Amino acid sequence: MSTIVEMTGVNKFYGSLQVLKDVDLSVEKGEVMVVIGPSGSGKSTLIRCVNGLEVYQQGEITVDGYQMPREEDRKIGGEKELAAIRKGVGMVFQQFNLFPHKTVLENISLAPMRVRRKSKAEAEANALRLLDRVGLKAHAAKYPAQLSGGQQQRVAIARALAMEPHIMLFDEPTSALDPEMVGEVLDVMRELAAEGMTMMIVTHEMGFAREVADRVVYIDQGAILEVAKPAQIFDAPQNERTRTFLSRVLKH
Amino acid sequence: MIASTIRWSHRNLFAKPLDAVLSLVVIPLCAWALYSGGSWVFQGAQWGIIPESIRVLLVGIYPADQIWRAWGTLLIFGLLFGATLGCVFFLHRVLALGYCLVVAAIALVAVYSEPTSALLIVAAAALALAGWFATSRWENLRRFLVPAWTLGLIAVFALLSPPGIGLWGGLMLSVLITMVTAVLSLPLGILLAFGRRSQLASVRMFCTAYIETMRSVPLILVVYCVWIVLPVLAPQYSVPDVLRGMAGFTIFFSAYVAEYVRSGLQAVPKGQVEAARSLGMSELDVNRYIVLPQSLRVVVPPLVGNVLDVFNAAPLVFIIGLTDFLRAGQMVLANPQYSDRTYEIYIFLFVTYFLIGSLITFAARKLELHLAKGAR
Ligand SMILES: Nc1ncnc2c1ncn2[C@@H]1O[C@H](COP(=O)(O)OP(=O)(O)OP(=O)(O)O)[C@@H](O)[C@H]1O
Ligand SMILES: [Mg+2]
Repeated sequence: MSTIVEMTGVNKFYGSLQVLKDVDLSVEKGEVMVVIGPSGSGKSTLIRCVNGLEVYQQGEITVDGYQMPREEDRKIGGEKELAAIRKGVGMVFQQFNLFPHKTVLENISLAPMRVRRKSKAEAEANALRLLDRVGLKAHAAKYPAQLSGGQQQRVAIARALAMEPHIMLFDEPTSALDPEMVGEVLDVMRELAAEGMTMMIVTHEMGFAREVADRVVYIDQGAILEVAKPAQIFDAPQNERTRTFLSRVLKH
Repeated sequence: MIASTIRWSHRNLFAKPLDAVLSLVVIPLCAWALYSGGSWVFQGAQWGIIPESIRVLLVGIYPADQIWRAWGTLLIFGLLFGATLGCVFFLHRVLALGYCLVVAAIALVAVYSEPTSALLIVAAAALALAGWFATSRWENLRRFLVPAWTLGLIAVFALLSPPGIGLWGGLMLSVLITMVTAVLSLPLGILLAFGRRSQLASVRMFCTAYIETMRSVPLILVVYCVWIVLPVLAPQYSVPDVLRGMAGFTIFFSAYVAEYVRSGLQAVPKGQVEAARSLGMSELDVNRYIVLPQSLRVVVPPLVGNVLDVFNAAPLVFIIGLTDFLRAGQMVLANPQYSDRTYEIYIFLFVTYFLIGSLITFAARKLELHLAKGAR
């Protein structure tokens, strides 16, 4: 197996506050990695570093074979690597972040046309195929505001997939959803995992994590405390803090 | 009926002692003003001066035998205005009917002075209706709106220039200044607004300084300075006063447009930019396809209000010797033959400014409601 994301000794600061501490992590091709941890522990920051939405100051991040520029290299010449990395990394957000002024179809076909230089016909045909896959073909002409939360999140997944990414990042994709809509989004993600998509998922859905994850990462106060197979981490956590965290969340 | 009137006035006019006193003072005052004003308007006033001097009021000293050029301008603007309206307000049957009635009324008034004018006004109105119908029916046409306005303005310049740009005046000049300023200050303002957020410190500093300078000095000063400075900068060309005035207005108002646009840019949630970036879009594309359209939607109503500000500021061009609508009125009064018609002329100016101004305000308010409905 080949490595698609490689982080070594990554440190990130907000001023004097250190939010990532000596993070070493690698994600293999086809692997599903779930990131868990308490609120404010740096889960979002960690996966947002993978597509450069957050900058980091020390260490090294390699994605898809490209070196992610550090903060000081961003302004001078780092744009090329950043652009190359982002082409191959899809992201799904907690708040969906669909473009409200564009129809569902336009939301999905815009980036392939602008970034991958696909023709309109090709991009739209592909968008419709993806919409069909997430069960929303009938809603192509609607605007995001006309859809339910679960439907919007499925469109957001289709939008990210339209760029044919090598890895998908999910930052709490179901946390903003009403409980009855969580299932439909998790189903789509499950299918993706089954098809062999490489994924990094931040989630509080522990049942889902146990089911689809190849490995689970526990992060606390910016440091990775434990990386293990789900069975191992859920049934026999090695670290004291992992144990307390899991006992707290699994009780509910 | 009487009882309900009494109840209504009790509740609205005499609810508290202070209300009662105010009502007792204000109501008779209004009645007196209405009565004396009304009796003057219908009996004392000599409205004959308006048709006699209408040409000067509308086009200033533009030569009489070239007046067809001004009519051509009206036709072009009619079509463009209609097309713009159609992008926002669907042309209902009721709306069309009301519009036709208003046009008929205007035409009737015009027939009183000149049948040809009436015909041309109706033609311009018909073009506006056609444009309105076209863009409200066929959405595909809407993307040609900006090119159409640009082409239209160029056509208008080409049409009006031959007798001499220096001869432009009257209401026509006021409208042209407003149009040119509105059309040119939009792209400039957008560039300035983005420049103010630029990563490059030099660009950011230049744009901030420009915007803040323009916003802290009076318009009249900017217009005057540009008028003086342009010939110094380009001595080999003699730029007509009208164009120098338009340059001054554009330079000044783009700073205001920039601030409106900036407030719109700030209203776009951060998640939108992040989503677009995460799809690999370039910063230019992120701004062009995601940020700008969403922010313009927010700022369209204040921008329309800004157009009204430009229109109402247009009389200031008297400082560089131009004859706008207001100045044209004063020019008419300068003729000793008409010197006792001050009220007639000023009331005409007042009513015209008021009608145009309230039309723009009304459009801005409608637009605001319309856009609020469309979002989320
Ligand atoms: N813009 C910022 N400026 C300063 N500190 C920040 C900023 N963004 C995040 N932080 C801090 O960084 C830390 C990690 O934040 P992060 O959002 O990655 O946590 P998280 O694990 O995703 O939490 P949650 O479960 O609430 O989403 C937190 O302590 C947070 O307060
Ligand atoms: Mg988070």
